[in-house]
Amino acid sequence: MKFYSWLLRVYPRAFRERYADDMRRTFAMEMAEFSTLSGLSRTRFWFVTITHALWFGLTARLPQGLTMRSFFTFDVRDAIRSLRATPVITAIAVLSLALGIGANTALFSILNGLVLKSLPVKAPHELALIEGSWTNPVWEGLRDRATLLVDGTFAWSAQQFDLAATGQRDAVQGAYASGATFDVLGVTPEIGRLFTPSDDVRGGGPDGQIVVISHRLWQTRFGGQSSVLGQSMLVNRVPFTIIGVTPPGFLGVDVGSAKDVFLPLANEAAIRGRESMLDERAGWWLDIMVRRRQGQTLQQAALALNSARLAVREETIPQDWDAKNLASYLTDDFKLADASNGFETTLRTKYAKPLTIIMFVVAAVLLIACANIANLLLARATARRHEMSLRLALGASRFRLVRQLLAESVILALAGGGGGLFLAKFVGALLVRQLGTSATSVTLDLSLDWRVLAFTGAVALVTTLLFGLAPAAGLASLSPNDALKEQTRSVAGDRRFGIRNVLVVTQVSLSVALVVGAGLFVRSFTSLATMSLGFDPSHLLVINIDASRTDVAADARLLMYDRVRDAVGAVPGVRAASISAFTPISGVGWNGRMLVEGGPDVPMKERMIWVNPISSGWFGTYGIQLKAGRDFSSVDGKDGQPVVIVNETFVKRFVGDRNPIGLRTKGGIGVEGVDSYTIIGVVSDSVYRNARAGVPAAVYVTLAQTGRIEASFAMTADISGDRATVRRGLAAAISQADSRLAFSMRDFADFVRASTAQERLVAMLSGFFGVLALLLAALGLYGVTSYSVNRRRSEIAVRMALGATAGAVIRMVLRRVVWLVLAGVAIGVGISLWAGKYIVTLLYGLQPRDPWTMAGAAMVLLGAGVIAGWLPARRAAKLDPTVVLRD
Amino acid sequence: MDISTTLKPAAIHILLALAEHDSHGYAVMQTVRQQSGGHISLKTGSFYRHLSTVMDAGLVTEAPGPKSGDDPRRGTYYRLTARGRQVLVAERFRLNDLVAHMNRLKLTTRKGDA
Repeated sequence: MKFYSWLLRVYPRAFRERYADDMRRTFAMEMAEFSTLSGLSRTRFWFVTITHALWFGLTARLPQGLTMRSFFTFDVRDAIRSLRATPVITAIAVLSLALGIGANTALFSILNGLVLKSLPVKAPHELALIEGSWTNPVWEGLRDRATLLVDGTFAWSAQQFDLAATGQRDAVQGAYASGATFDVLGVTPEIGRLFTPSDDVRGGGPDGQIVVISHRLWQTRFGGQSSVLGQSMLVNRVPFTIIGVTPPGFLGVDVGSAKDVFLPLANEAAIRGRESMLDERAGWWLDIMVRRRQGQTLQQAALALNSARLAVREETIPQDWDAKNLASYLTDDFKLADASNGFETTLRTKYAKPLTIIMFVVAAVLLIACANIANLLLARATARRHEMSLRLALGASRFRLVRQLLAESVILALAGGGGGLFLAKFVGALLVRQLGTSATSVTLDLSLDWRVLAFTGAVALVTTLLFGLAPAAGLASLSPNDALKEQTRSVAGDRRFGIRNVLVVTQVSLSVALVVGAGLFVRSFTSLATMSLGFDPSHLLVINIDASRTDVAADARLLMYDRVRDAVGAVPGVRAASISAFTPISGVGWNGRMLVEGGPDVPMKERMIWVNPISSGWFGTYGIQLKAGRDFSSVDGKDGQPVVIVNETFVKRFVGDRNPIGLRTKGGIGVEGVDSYTIIGVVSDSVYRNARAGVPAAVYVTLAQTGRIEASFAMTADISGDRATVRRGLAAAISQADSRLAFSMRDFADFVRASTAQERLVAMLSGFFGVLALLLAALGLYGVTSYSVNRRRSEIAVRMALGATAGAVIRMVLRRVVWLVLAGVAIGVGISLWAGKYIVTLLYGLQPRDPWTMAGAAMVLLGAGVIAGWLPARRAAKLDPTVVLRD
Repeated sequence: MDISTTLKPAAIHILLALAEHDSHGYAVMQTVRQQSGGHISLKTGSFYRHLSTVMDAGLVTEAPGPKSGDDPRRGTYYRLTARGRQVLVAERFRLNDLVAHMNRLKLTTRKGDA
């Protein structure tokens, strides 16, 4: 329906003003009738509706002048007739255009949703983000002062909430938001009310502890019933009262992630209890957004906010900070960044560049497709020289003929553009699904907006010019006399193929560049995907457990963790289970700087080590080998001697050739009161935060010796047998150990896949488009060769009559193809060398100027060229000279 | 002078559909489909285009506000004007003459085949 309202704009203004409202109502009824029908007639229904709008809207708006009238009544009609006369060429042209434009539009609409589109809120251009993350005390200080300085402010913290009552987590995306959030954003409720500053007080406002849910959650979990208002909903196992539902378009302010649950900021205390961050002066977890006053620039707004800076900062000085840090804390300005299109999210930073590169790739594919169509149309135009010169001789103006050719191009471009928009919808949705992983789904607004439509329109227009002008230019050299000359016996040489050869060389060179790119990306991905992690993830299961709802005191947590681990270890199918603070390749970690007593003096830059607090048996679970020394045991408890186990990379860098066992480290890992550890063991290397970063120097400590034990931890189980059964057993065992534990399970292989999602996407897309480019280029070569063979039939026949063998004819034809391909390859390699610098950050384990990849691409193109040339060459060799020459 | 000769069949069907009583857009569309035995199937777009022709010619006007209690979703009601009725009647006579003439010629598709 929204689409129809948009479509109505196509109609002339006067018509629209008079009938639009009524049309919308009538259309709604008509659609209700048609929605009961099958897919095919529905498609036809939409097709009729859209064509009518476009056709009527267009013709009614035309100036009444004679030229335009006759253009549409005669030229377009003629053009349609002549396009229908050659259905195969038309179909190929429209299809390749639709593919090219569709891929471009899909990519663009994703980039649009990810980077360009404004938030669906009131006056998004006024929104700005204070750079960095902030503590709640800073936010509260700023909140109370900012009312006089800017139009509004709010604080926001994206969270994953758990809606399950017991046991396994039921994770949804949500956010803590300060009371004024919805008001500042200008979001109005779908039903009920949205929270206000009076709700954002600790312990709850007039309605107690309240929550606002998204339209989607309301529809999927509560059936869209208005009785949802006043109902209680568990968030992280704490009851909240639902007071309202946000409108369907509002997904939050983080691009790519749709939020379903919104809690007032002060409710954080109700969820996190004693570990609340609200009064934490060194906990940086809030994003602060500002709405500028009308006419206030970013600089002016920043200046206004900074007038409150000193007062806010003095009130909120973090405890136990040294003088140097404090000085910069007090003097650092608030900096504002434009936030009209939402927060910078990892999704945006991660995918903006790869998608931009793929955007160039699909643009190149479209160029290749255009070259193909130009070639086809040129061939058609040449075949129609006779018709054209006859019409010229009969008195048609050159302009008239050009107009008809132009009309044909316009129709092709419109059909291709329409098809492209249609394809883009599916391709876009498919791609967005690829961006997400099993744990995080990605929601992007891909709906058509003026940017996408303008983009597609511009692409269609440019392509029309690209392929439409070539045949039109050919008309200039046409003379009316040509029609009178019979040209059956003329011997055509290689002349006149100038443009077409240039087109083919362009195609080949672009294809080479794309195939090189595809080769590089695919090889990067395979080397990443197959690289050794240091352990085998296929039989590992990761269980993330959150114990914050249990009443176990912080210092008793370790005991409970051990109890849960023992329970998990006893489940049938579990060979081993152990606990760690961090799961490898999960992207998070803990780092510090270290040296070893008596070891080499490693330069400052290379002293970085990564720490993972683990339980005993962790190496066994992962299958990481103990190379020397011993594993942790019960003697390495809280009061034992501080000990670490290090990996082989650590030994190589910090120890050298000596025996590392028993050596002591210089510098701790940030645990209070400990600045030296004894090395008790060495383990084989394994990856840490992500596979791409390779193997860092790693230090393992016992959980007991890290001091503070967090309320959430990761357990890894080495399992065998039927996964579903084991998972059920695990869920039961954990719930039985303590029913208030919230947990989620994930196959380790899933982590691995998620960690290479970006590379996989780029490899997949560039591979697909590389093959498409190759096909199109081969098609182009085939077209040009078979056309030139046709033109040279007489010549070839004469040659054969004079004694040329079939082999000689084939060689003659192929020689031309090979020259074309070689010229294209040379240019293509040049393009790849130049473009290499833009993709270097996306590659892994190889250089963009990798000679093997380039040589491979050249061979592939040459192979494709020879095949494309072979078919027409063979046809030429089979010519019967007597038949040809008698014609 | 006679506007009816320049009207397309669809437009005449719209006038016919409004001849008995005022009606709203969707109902007219359905009546036209039934009247023509499905030969003329108007979609929203084409319907309003024909409607604008007959309204500009003054053959149809908007009816004053629909009866209270009627479903507001149905939208505007349209009414045949006196001039529209004249045109229909004129069309009837014109077609009658035409058919009478054809009947006199005993016109069939198999010309000269008897």
